[in-house]
Amino acid sequence: MNYPMWYLPEIGGGTMIALIAIIHVFVSHFAVGGGLYLVLAERKGIREHDRGILDFTKKHTKFFLLVTMVFGGLTGVAIWFIISLVHPSATSFLIHTFVFAWATEWVFFLVEIVALFIYFYTFGRMDHRNHQIIGWIYFVAAWISLFIINGIIGFMLTPGGWLQDGDFWSGFFNPTFWPALFFRTFVALMMAGSYAFVTTAFIKDATLKRTMTVFSGKWVLGALLAALPSGIWYVSVLPQPAMELVKGASPTISRALSYGTYAIVGILIVSLLLTLTKPARHNGIYATVVMVCAFLFMGSFEWTREGARRPYVLNEIMYSNSIYKKDVERLNTEGFLQNAKWVRIQEFHEESLLEIGQDLFKNQCYACHTIGGFNNDILPRTANMSFPVLVNYLETIHDRRYFMPPFAGTSDELRALATYIYSGLQGKSMASAVLVTGGVAEMSPGEQLFADNCVFCHEAELIKTKTIGWSRDKIRLGMDNLSGLNPAMPDFNGSELEKEHLSDFILALHSPESKVMGTPHHLGESVFETHCSMCHSLTADYNPLLPKIEGWDRMRLRQALDQLDALNPAMPPLQASDEEKDALADYLMEESREVM
Amino acid sequence: MSPLIPTPDTLPVAWGWFQFLLLLTLPFHLLAMNAMVGSAALALYARFRADEPSHRLAHELAKILPFLVAFTVNFGVAPLLFNQVLYGHFLYVSSILMAVFWLAVIPLLILAYYALYLYDFRFNSLGKAGTVFLAMSLLIFFVIAFIYTNNMTLMLLPTQWVAYFQNAAGTLLNLSDPTLIPRYLHFMIGALAVGGLFVALFGKLKENRDREMADAVVRLGMNAFTWLTMVQILLGLWFLMALPKKVMLIFMGGDTVATLIFLLGLILAILVLVTGLKKKVYLTTGLAVVLVFLMSFMRAYVRMGFHEPYFSVRSLVVVPQYSPMWVFFLSLVAGLLCIAWMVKKVVEIR
Repeated sequence: MNYPMWYLPEIGGGTMIALIAIIHVFVSHFAVGGGLYLVLAERKGIREHDRGILDFTKKHTKFFLLVTMVFGGLTGVAIWFIISLVHPSATSFLIHTFVFAWATEWVFFLVEIVALFIYFYTFGRMDHRNHQIIGWIYFVAAWISLFIINGIIGFMLTPGGWLQDGDFWSGFFNPTFWPALFFRTFVALMMAGSYAFVTTAFIKDATLKRTMTVFSGKWVLGALLAALPSGIWYVSVLPQPAMELVKGASPTISRALSYGTYAIVGILIVSLLLTLTKPARHNGIYATVVMVCAFLFMGSFEWTREGARRPYVLNEIMYSNSIYKKDVERLNTEGFLQNAKWVRIQEFHEESLLEIGQDLFKNQCYACHTIGGFNNDILPRTANMSFPVLVNYLETIHDRRYFMPPFAGTSDELRALATYIYSGLQGKSMASAVLVTGGVAEMSPGEQLFADNCVFCHEAELIKTKTIGWSRDKIRLGMDNLSGLNPAMPDFNGSELEKEHLSDFILALHSPESKVMGTPHHLGESVFETHCSMCHSLTADYNPLLPKIEGWDRMRLRQALDQLDALNPAMPPLQASDEEKDALADYLMEESREVM
Repeated sequence: MSPLIPTPDTLPVAWGWFQFLLLLTLPFHLLAMNAMVGSAALALYARFRADEPSHRLAHELAKILPFLVAFTVNFGVAPLLFNQVLYGHFLYVSSILMAVFWLAVIPLLILAYYALYLYDFRFNSLGKAGTVFLAMSLLIFFVIAFIYTNNMTLMLLPTQWVAYFQNAAGTLLNLSDPTLIPRYLHFMIGALAVGGLFVALFGKLKENRDREMADAVVRLGMNAFTWLTMVQILLGLWFLMALPKKVMLIFMGGDTVATLIFLLGLILAILVLVTGLKKKVYLTTGLAVVLVFLMSFMRAYVRMGFHEPYFSVRSLVVVPQYSPMWVFFLSLVAGLLCIAWMVKKVVEIR
């Protein structure tokens, strides 16, 4: 809201950050661990008076220089560019809070560059002792870079004491600082071994190839073993919501973690094979497998760490859509539009619902959702929702799915967003959502009241279905205590007369002249719409539900509805009455029979 | 006050520290950039000449170009950081409006960087193809500079930002700005001039090893420097005239310090012409470095002049915490000492 949004609806900023970040992390960890690998490989060559090992180390240094200095250095700048383009508010916050951490990191970046250049260009020309010292200087400077960036990245996930005192050091040495530092250091050493496999694959001399492949394999295995306990330590210090997301409450994290596991197994198998049994057979294919696995591993780790922060970009401080947590309440009363700088319309009015809705989508949803793109496409996720369900979902979005930020704005603004999604994106006619019986001209006072107050959450059809057989008195009585009928309904604050008019209108829905079709809705169908449709369709391409329950009997289905989170930790428990669950089970059984 | 300007974040130390650090570090980036662009351009020129010293120069410059890229990038990080602390709420906006171009800087630079490494490591085997790689890198440097000039001017012009509401895809530039072209030329012709001086200095340092090449290089570099500096003075005047009157007048007595810096700059520019014509490499280099510092101070005044109706760094709120800054200064000293030690060890080899 404070900054414009670089708007590429089909690509999405998150995808670009993820892509650049994963590539950078894959190279930058090598830049740290590889430094130590070079020094120790050189030392091995010096101690064993082995010309071959020294030549190998020099050759590997060239590869290292070209990969880390050019690609590592520039993708690091690229991350800085892309986060300031996609998350300017969060970037600005981090830059201002940690400017001197970054400035210090820049000093070590400079030392790294000088040391690496000298190390490479004087290889074999400088005396061993000094050359080794320069190698060590490189490694230590690179590791300190990791130390510093680790503090800032850790802050984003676990700001810890900073939330209370706003102190630089509390934020820097945050709860995940030490476990993440250990974990990343070991990962960096593992990367060093993995990248070295690339160079050792092409060694001509058989003995040297054997020696250096085994040497590299030990790095990978040792580091992997050491990374495991520090990884567990890392997860154990996560705050509760993040821990739950990591343990399965987030579908994308679950997916990332399973890729990560395959990757580790892949690395383990190949490096064990190379180290223990067949180092002489090592070749480009093995090296490629290890590199692909290592890339997947880094990717899944980064994805998990980023995902664990949700719904925040800076945990407990700023939501993913750049809205400060502390501002949400104010925005809910004052309105989002008049507090936002980069929206076209700053004052809500009914005539511009679509434009307002689009601006709200850009500012509040686009940070994570694409329109028709690869990442978190909004279209299938809202395709099955009726307008009232959509409104209701947006109102409770953060409570239902913790990893989504709450909507920030007035109920009018929320309605505009829903209108944009329902009509602007899904192309559905608002007439079907708003029109009750006929044209505006012939509206009765009750119908007018219904259109103004009720229709945003439920259409006349649903009300007709729900009040079948109700007497006029029962309807009127319900009008006094809507929240008693359904805790999700706000009470109606109209006058006595208005309540009478509304009751008349609802009663009239059941009269033979009423054009409103009752009972097209199976109760189970509306339960499905309200509780399931944001993640499932019945049979369409978007996470279809019916194939998943193929062959189930009703009892199994009904029992499953009581414990959805046991089926899949990513599913929230179904918050519906027993009656509604029964209806849902019936509905799903009927639908699956039809499909069969 | 333009309603589009974002609310800035608070500073951890007084703004003067950041202004100081920005003005201290930016000239190093400019000098490295100038050396990089100038070396690439003169290497290309040398490749088209048939004589033996030119061939050796092209080869010698090939070896140092990757270093120059590395240091240009590294020295760019610090001023970009301090710029964002003071002016992030302008810079992020302009970057987003031209996001596609801004982000393109990175892949372009990676391409140029690898091309220069290829040009260096495969100098002999590449033969004529080397010219293509070199020319491509040089062209990329000019494109990147154009992107930078667009961003650095667009961040000064909040009135132009409304274009966002017609185009949010990040493909805007600042082409309608009358200062854009003179500013770009002023920077890039200046870069070629100072780069020429750098090449002359480089030749001078090779004097003991390759007298013949050194003489040719000093002549070539100093000629490039002097002639281009003459053009540069004219371009500077064009740039000055293109500035909005209110900004221009800052240097015409509107602000005493700015006017003094401007006058000093003019005098120095004439002085380096004289020393340049006399081929006094070391003296010219010393004066030119001072000149680059003065010009980057003037650049800061231009920025303040443009921002004056909307924003002053003085208005930034400080929530003080100084200890991280002292840690930074301490690391800087330690880092520089460490670098000095390493360089000493390299010199000792010879």
